[in-house]
Amino acid sequence: MNVIEIQGLIKDYPLGKTTVHALRGIDFSVEEGAFLSIVGPSGSGKTTLLNIIGCIDQPTAGQVKIQNQEISALKEKEITDLRLHKIGFIFQSFNLIPVLNVRENVEFPLLLMKNKRTAEVNARVEQLIEAVGLRDYIEHKPAELSGGQRQRVAIARALVGNPDIVLADEPTANLDSETSDSILQLMKELNEVEKTTFIFSTHDPEVLKYAAKIVKIRDGMLVEQE
Amino acid sequence: MGLAFKIAWRNIGRHKGKSLVIGMILFIGTLLMTVGNGMISGMEHGMSENIVKLFTGDLIVISDEQEKNDVLIGSMSAKPLKVIKNYEAAKVVLENEELIADYLPATSGLVYVLNDRSEMGSMYLLGVDIDRYRRMFPDSIQITEGRPFEAGERGLLISEEIRKPFYDFVEYWLIPEGEELDESKLPEDAKADLANLDVRSDLVFMGASVANSTMDIRVPVTGVMKYKALNKIWGSYCLVDIESFREAHNYVTGADSAVDLSEAEADLLATENLEDLFAGGDLFADVITEESITLEELQQETTRASGDYDLDDGSYNLAFIKLKKGVSPQAAAAKINGVFQEQGLEVRVISWKDAVGIIGNMAVMVKAALNLFIMFIFFVAMIIIMNTLSMAALERTSELGMMRAIGARKGFIRSMFVSETALLSFFFGGLGIISGIVVIYLLRAAGISTTNEILQLVYGGETLSPVYTGSDFLLGLFELGIVTFLSVLYPLRVVGRIVPLDAVVRE
Repeated sequence: MNVIEIQGLIKDYPLGKTTVHALRGIDFSVEEGAFLSIVGPSGSGKTTLLNIIGCIDQPTAGQVKIQNQEISALKEKEITDLRLHKIGFIFQSFNLIPVLNVRENVEFPLLLMKNKRTAEVNARVEQLIEAVGLRDYIEHKPAELSGGQRQRVAIARALVGNPDIVLADEPTANLDSETSDSILQLMKELNEVEKTTFIFSTHDPEVLKYAAKIVKIRDGMLVEQE
Repeated sequence: MGLAFKIAWRNIGRHKGKSLVIGMILFIGTLLMTVGNGMISGMEHGMSENIVKLFTGDLIVISDEQEKNDVLIGSMSAKPLKVIKNYEAAKVVLENEELIADYLPATSGLVYVLNDRSEMGSMYLLGVDIDRYRRMFPDSIQITEGRPFEAGERGLLISEEIRKPFYDFVEYWLIPEGEELDESKLPEDAKADLANLDVRSDLVFMGASVANSTMDIRVPVTGVMKYKALNKIWGSYCLVDIESFREAHNYVTGADSAVDLSEAEADLLATENLEDLFAGGDLFADVITEESITLEELQQETTRASGDYDLDDGSYNLAFIKLKKGVSPQAAAAKINGVFQEQGLEVRVISWKDAVGIIGNMAVMVKAALNLFIMFIFFVAMIIIMNTLSMAALERTSELGMMRAIGARKGFIRSMFVSETALLSFFFGGLGIISGIVVIYLLRAAGISTTNEILQLVYGGETLSPVYTGSDFLLGLFELGIVTFLSVLYPLRVVGRIVPLDAVVRE
């Protein structure tokens, strides 16, 4: 069953008197539980594609369906709720909340979902902190963690709400190769354990060995699917 | 603790510099606001204590023919105040009005004094029934020499403020009847020429009137007095017994009112044929006699009627009204004026502020200036806080965009900012209010006094006495709340424009 379906996706950015064609008509779908990598050189449109799938940007034309729901038909609050309940984000620069510690950063999305019980929240947060190997750092603030540890917190935060899809835009770009390996290994494991669909973008060929499916794009067009 | 509140609280600690800048502005703003409000309250309280309670009462009744309302300090000219024509009927209204605690009918006006060298001096007199005056304004005056005149006695209480300028004009040094000259109180030039000093214990004055229908009367000086507050201002008025004032201005006196006519006299005065007045000799038969009379007998025959008439029966041009506690002067004035109009009495009630004219206007202006100053401080504070918060919002665009991206609604982000500003306002504003109260009490304890009339108005009396009341506290909280609300409006707009995409665009 497809969790994401994309048809004729176009994204143009006006830039002064010219227009940048970031995506020039992309069609593809993603199956539930996939571990998919979008690859391509810098400026190929990877981030734009992920942003549109993650409902934080809107297409110029085309259709994006998440679990058979056409996102362009949704209102702003519905899109916000969709991001909260169905999509997890892992950012290149981690983007943790600096004033919250590891536990609080991880539980943040659950606290935004107002109907969660405290016991349920605590159990889920501790389970994920354990899973990403940060039990000993639970009270640490982001500034007291290494890059790899911060990205682990971001992964735990992305997964805490049991989303259907986790989107990661170049999650290893700011990490050394050893840490990158461990992060991708962790994502792969969680993909298998949590059965969550992972889509991540990269331009690093080393990262591709972890991907079960690869979508290659260049100049805003899909050039290959493996 | 709510999530937004928790993040806001920690952000204050994280951005210590900015928080401190905003906090200090709020602190200084609320401190000045509290002291300013205390000054305004002190001024109002002082005005009420020193003007309303000691001199004017809450409202003043004047004739409807009186063109301008500034009948006291403001109308210090030779143009006399209009006499209240229907005082008897107005009195019934005042006595039956349940909002009124007491009232004092009076006369106010200028008198001239001419010395032997035809040099002219003048003074403003307030003609009163002394018993009623002391009942209405028990703490108003302090007798510094001599004694007050008694009820029914002719007498003048000279104000200390008037004594010296009066000496400068007519070179009479006034001392109370039966008192020894106290040389220590004399002006320097009088001390230097004691041999030629003209010391007087009575005064011949004439009411100032455009109709020139006044008369000279001699009134003994029974005492010297000073007003207990705002003496520089109220000291322009000397107190005189009401009958002397009426006679000097040719008003109808109580004695005039008390004359009982016989039936024959009444018939004669009612006649339309003036010849009748001189036709018969019976009417004046008891007065005109062929027998010679002594000077003493003549003086006794023509002396003033005394004592056995009601002072209240004569003419007045003012009546001071003291309202019951808690009664709104505006509401009472409207009600009483309504009754006066309904009965067609041709009198009106005005506020004490209108009556004291320029003094009242200056008080309003001083209050407006203080309020304007407070508003200006808050406006500046608001702009700085608004700018600092907007900058803070822009600096945290990536963080706020990330929150939006992972599912936080705009309302959550806004509540975070509002919480942050509210916390700063509560803490630093509260500190400002507390410090302001301390400053107010220190200023009060310092007992700073002035003889400058303008400053006396700012102080509400001779001593700076700012007060802080419960309503000032509520007003302070309200003003702080308004400033907080207005300061955060624009930053909230900035925050509202942050979109989830900003989380990645700014990376």
